[in-house]
Amino acid sequence: MKDMELVEELLNSYIDGELDERKSNEVKRLIDNDPKARRLFNSLNRYKKLMGSMLPAAAPEGFSESVSRRLERQALLADTGVYHHKAGLRHLILRRFVTAAAVIVLMAVLSIIVFDIFVPKSSRDKLVSSALGRKQKPQVLYEKPFPDAKTAQDEAVPVPLPKTATVPMVAKLTLFTDSPVETDWLIGKALMNTGLFDKTTAVDRKTDSVRYVLNCSRDSLVNLAQELSFIWPKCTDTTLEIGTEQTGKYITVKNITAQQTLEICKADNYNQRIRMANDMAMINNVMAPDILQKYFAQQNADSDLLVPEKPVLTSTEKTEQPKSDSTSGNVNLTITVIGR
Amino acid sequence: MVKHIQEQLRVTGGNISIDEASLVSQARAGNMASVEKLILKYQDRIYNTILKMCGNDADAAELAQDAFVKAIGGLKDFKGESSFYTWLFRIAVNLTLNFCKKNSRVSFQSLNDEIDEDSNRQLKDYLLDKKAVDPSELAAKKEVSGLILKALEKLEPQQRAVVVLRDIEQMSYNDIAETLEIEIGTVKSRIARGRKNLREILEAAVQ
Repeated sequence: MKDMELVEELLNSYIDGELDERKSNEVKRLIDNDPKARRLFNSLNRYKKLMGSMLPAAAPEGFSESVSRRLERQALLADTGVYHHKAGLRHLILRRFVTAAAVIVLMAVLSIIVFDIFVPKSSRDKLVSSALGRKQKPQVLYEKPFPDAKTAQDEAVPVPLPKTATVPMVAKLTLFTDSPVETDWLIGKALMNTGLFDKTTAVDRKTDSVRYVLNCSRDSLVNLAQELSFIWPKCTDTTLEIGTEQTGKYITVKNITAQQTLEICKADNYNQRIRMANDMAMINNVMAPDILQKYFAQQNADSDLLVPEKPVLTSTEKTEQPKSDSTSGNVNLTITVIGR
Repeated sequence: MVKHIQEQLRVTGGNISIDEASLVSQARAGNMASVEKLILKYQDRIYNTILKMCGNDADAAELAQDAFVKAIGGLKDFKGESSFYTWLFRIAVNLTLNFCKKNSRVSFQSLNDEIDEDSNRQLKDYLLDKKAVDPSELAAKKEVSGLILKALEKLEPQQRAVVVLRDIEQMSYNDIAETLEIEIGTVKSRIARGRKNLREILEAAVQ
């Protein structure tokens, strides 16, 4: 095969007159003595003659003028500085760079928009803080929508002393019921009636429980507590947990009544709320639930016993108003309905 | 001027003819008349070579113009180590090869459809040496030359370049090696393979 290729190369070179005299004579002898080489030589010769007979194509009319015009234009642009190869290259690189920057900015803006739409605010703040390497301020009383997601790191954060006037309210109301569907419906209705349905940040429905998490003002909370009083007869057990200034620490009030819930919600400030919760927790612990129910039934008929009434102002003397924490969005309430 | 040309010849080792050297020198100095003369001298050969390589009139005209603009615009880089002719052809062939690489079309169409029965029979007789047929008469037929161009298109671009430079442009092996900046042995082997492939393509087309 290699020999054949070599012979073909030699024959081609012979036909093209590219061999020296000695090699030409060798090829001549090969052609004379080898019929196969002769056939190949004739074939190559015919092919070469055919290719050589092809009519040459002439350049189109006005070709040289077109080239001259292009050259003149190029020279003119180079002289006037309108176009220079390096300048053009710089311009091209700059344009590409600007385009890439614009695309990056556009992508960043789109990402922020998508992030803003799909990621909840609490998660967003956390992500931004961790991305910037900032240590998050300890969130004293705002718990995560679902405590399952709580990390040990959160608990380890040392908590500074509370500024009571500005401490928001965090509460977890757990209702045990034999008719969870009806109770759930009543809660939904109460949320609708108080306009808090839109402020419900999370609803977690499981087979045997429903959990609502909402942020609202204290006034709205009071309204909701009043609306929720219809639910109590449906419940077999109720628990209210009131958050303290220490993360994850709650005062648990077992067997809480609708009236007690309402009173706690009405509390003007953190200290009052905590005091009331402590009192109620203690009372409810020592009293049997049925006695408690009866007791409160009686109290409801008269007045509120557990919560001392506010002193009535008899003159124009000014009293120091406790700083209210009833600003919008400073209550974080979790209502859990558990079916039995 | 003569002194300058003689100096040019001395510097370049005589690789450039006096006529051409003077034209190149004047063109480099910005003499448009000399530029035009250089274009007129080579335009048909450059256009013909490119046309046989790319197979399309419009593309060939555009590429030939590009080659002249690039060659004359870059005369300051021309050191005269080779002739202006091989330098110009190097630019033209490289532009065409790049163009072919970017616009490579894989054609699966049979070449049988390209030619009528009479021409087909004549070409077959000629290639198989059955009858004495005048090759110039045969090649003058538009269909036959069209078929040869199509067959050339089916060759690898590197083989096509060598075959066209040798068989169409009648360049010597040395000039081809210089133009394509390859070894002379490579020229020989590419010519042998290119012609063999072309022969096989043409013979298959007329079967």
